[in-house]
Amino acid sequence: MSGSPAELAARLRRVLDERYHHRHPFNLRMHEGRLSPDELRTWVRNRYYYQTRIPIKDGLILAKSSDPSFRRGWVRRIHDHDGEKAGTGGLELWLRLAEAVGLDRAEVAGLRRVLPGVRDACDDYVRFVESHDLLTSVASSLTELAAGEIMKVRIAAFEQHYRWVEPEGLAYFLGRTRQAPADAAEGMAFVLENARSPEDEDRCVAALERKCEILWRLLDAVEAAHATPALSAAAKLRRDPVGAGTLAVLPERAVRLNETGREVLALCDGRRTAEEIASELARLHPDAEGVWSEVHAFLGEMTRLAVVEAPRTA
Amino acid sequence: MSAPRPYNLVAELTYRCPLRCAYCSNPLGYAGVRDGLDAAAWTRAFAEAAELGVVHVGLTGGEPTLRADLREIVAGADLAGLYAHLVTAGTTLDTEGLAVLRDAGLRSVQLSIQDSDPTAGDAVAGVAAHERKLAFARGVRSLGMPLVLNIVLHRRNLARVPEIVALARELGATRLELANTQYYGWALANREALLPSREQLARASAEVERARRLPGGPEILFVLPDYFSDRPKPCMGGWGRRSIVVAPDGRVLPCQAAAEIAGLDFGSLREHPLAWCWSEAPGMQAFRGEAWMREPCKSCPERSRDFGGCRCQAFLLTGDAAATDPACSLSPHHGIVAAARAAAETAVAAGAPAPLRLRGGSATRVEASQ
Repeated sequence: MSGSPAELAARLRRVLDERYHHRHPFNLRMHEGRLSPDELRTWVRNRYYYQTRIPIKDGLILAKSSDPSFRRGWVRRIHDHDGEKAGTGGLELWLRLAEAVGLDRAEVAGLRRVLPGVRDACDDYVRFVESHDLLTSVASSLTELAAGEIMKVRIAAFEQHYRWVEPEGLAYFLGRTRQAPADAAEGMAFVLENARSPEDEDRCVAALERKCEILWRLLDAVEAAHATPALSAAAKLRRDPVGAGTLAVLPERAVRLNETGREVLALCDGRRTAEEIASELARLHPDAEGVWSEVHAFLGEMTRLAVVEAPRTA
Repeated sequence: MSAPRPYNLVAELTYRCPLRCAYCSNPLGYAGVRDGLDAAAWTRAFAEAAELGVVHVGLTGGEPTLRADLREIVAGADLAGLYAHLVTAGTTLDTEGLAVLRDAGLRSVQLSIQDSDPTAGDAVAGVAAHERKLAFARGVRSLGMPLVLNIVLHRRNLARVPEIVALARELGATRLELANTQYYGWALANREALLPSREQLARASAEVERARRLPGGPEILFVLPDYFSDRPKPCMGGWGRRSIVVAPDGRVLPCQAAAEIAGLDFGSLREHPLAWCWSEAPGMQAFRGEAWMREPCKSCPERSRDFGGCRCQAFLLTGDAAATDPACSLSPHHGIVAAARAAAETAVAAGAPAPLRLRGGSATRVEASQ
């Protein structure tokens, strides 16, 4: 016996209330006006990668439906993002935001400095939609239910706290305050109509949770780029007593480090940001491909393993 | 076959303990096992372990702080270059005593706590310990040492994961180990009272997911227990593969429960060097690698990941240590685990708490073993 559509709608809204990234510390700081210009730029540059995945995701959803009227409605999202012609649409507006915060348009569009954690999170979203059915995929899009509201908060925050950002840059946010509620209503109606069993309902709730997680991880990665990692107090670096190499020993594990890993940890002094360390290493190894990205990925892994501590900006 | 390089030494300094936890990992026959190694012998063992490649030592028990010579033992670990980690119940050492150990080279502390609820915690520990443990935890942090909290989870406390996480945050733990009960020794004797329902585990798991997203830690360990996962756990990372356990009497074992397997011949530091006990002793060789495996493990693609599961569990549940771990749904003995799960579902639904048999309580088999 499945619950009523109203009950499912309430469950989905509860997921958003508890897990949507409006609660993420990075967004809280953004909206309180406490991000540095560099932090804001990192966010804009990286979030662009997410924007580029959205039409791909929506194309995958389109291909799952055999209902012309569903497709007619859903295809609007692709037009919204890509524009009806070149130089229009949401992706274009995001690039204008990039320019407005002082980034180089071509550099952002080229996606060369997308953080590996951001790339992983966004690619996971596309893969999720690729490998799930129409109902779950649409349910995962329902973060749009909360998007209209966060855009309003964001516009107000930019106007109040980030006056150095040219106001034309905010056009994307403005557009989404109109589009997101319409998109969300369409997606919600589809989910409520097509979730027929308790299993369907659980799948939809889980899909939305998963999507919230992906947005959360994106901001985790952006935030980590500006954290200042230091070797954790619990970690002891030592030469491996057997064979070559260095080990970081912790209360519960030992982590083997290669030469580059040692080089990175030597720069983890609690003052440099992860981004500064990655840039420094990239400068030191100009011939090696992908150093910048590897350093960020490595620092993420070392933080996860508690070899380094990178306290969040409060 | 040649022995792999070990990374970790578990030094069980004594089986004595003021607590009587109903899931104690010490053997049922713990009382017959004497403290057979003095500080000099432990120091020698640490130096030999470092030569084999060990970088980390967990000083555990029983309650290791009951050893009057613990400072010398810690100094021995430090001298050998090992990362010394104390595993304690925290009721027998004050902050000054801990500072002495820190100054001797102790690097980190794992404190066991039974529950977030003092009454429930003290009931499962068999003594009033909760408040002293909290005071000890604050002492660890006041000395600036990393604190790991370990809580054994079971039917009676699984519902309190959020409170347990809150307690870990309040105490400033760097890591919280939510260790689902493993059913050996005392825990196996109490399985009927401890094994949870699947629903309880699912709820706890969801709470852990929630807690992992809280900014500011701690790192949380939580693994679905093998009774519910359909595949066995890669016990100890493989038999005789990464970790050496030395029991209080000097026997060198692949894990803390292996002495319960009948008929295995392990080496002892009272008679042999550590290298021999690790590499050559017949008991240590018995289940190293894959040669001992039978079907369904022998041809299983997962055998290099889970190493056939846990030998002690296979022995305790089937009487045959070379059998596939019954936690695996491919095991012909999986029915034993399924029946235990079904009994737990019924018991949890009925709601009446089953009595616990506390360590050292009546009807123990202390006299029978050792």
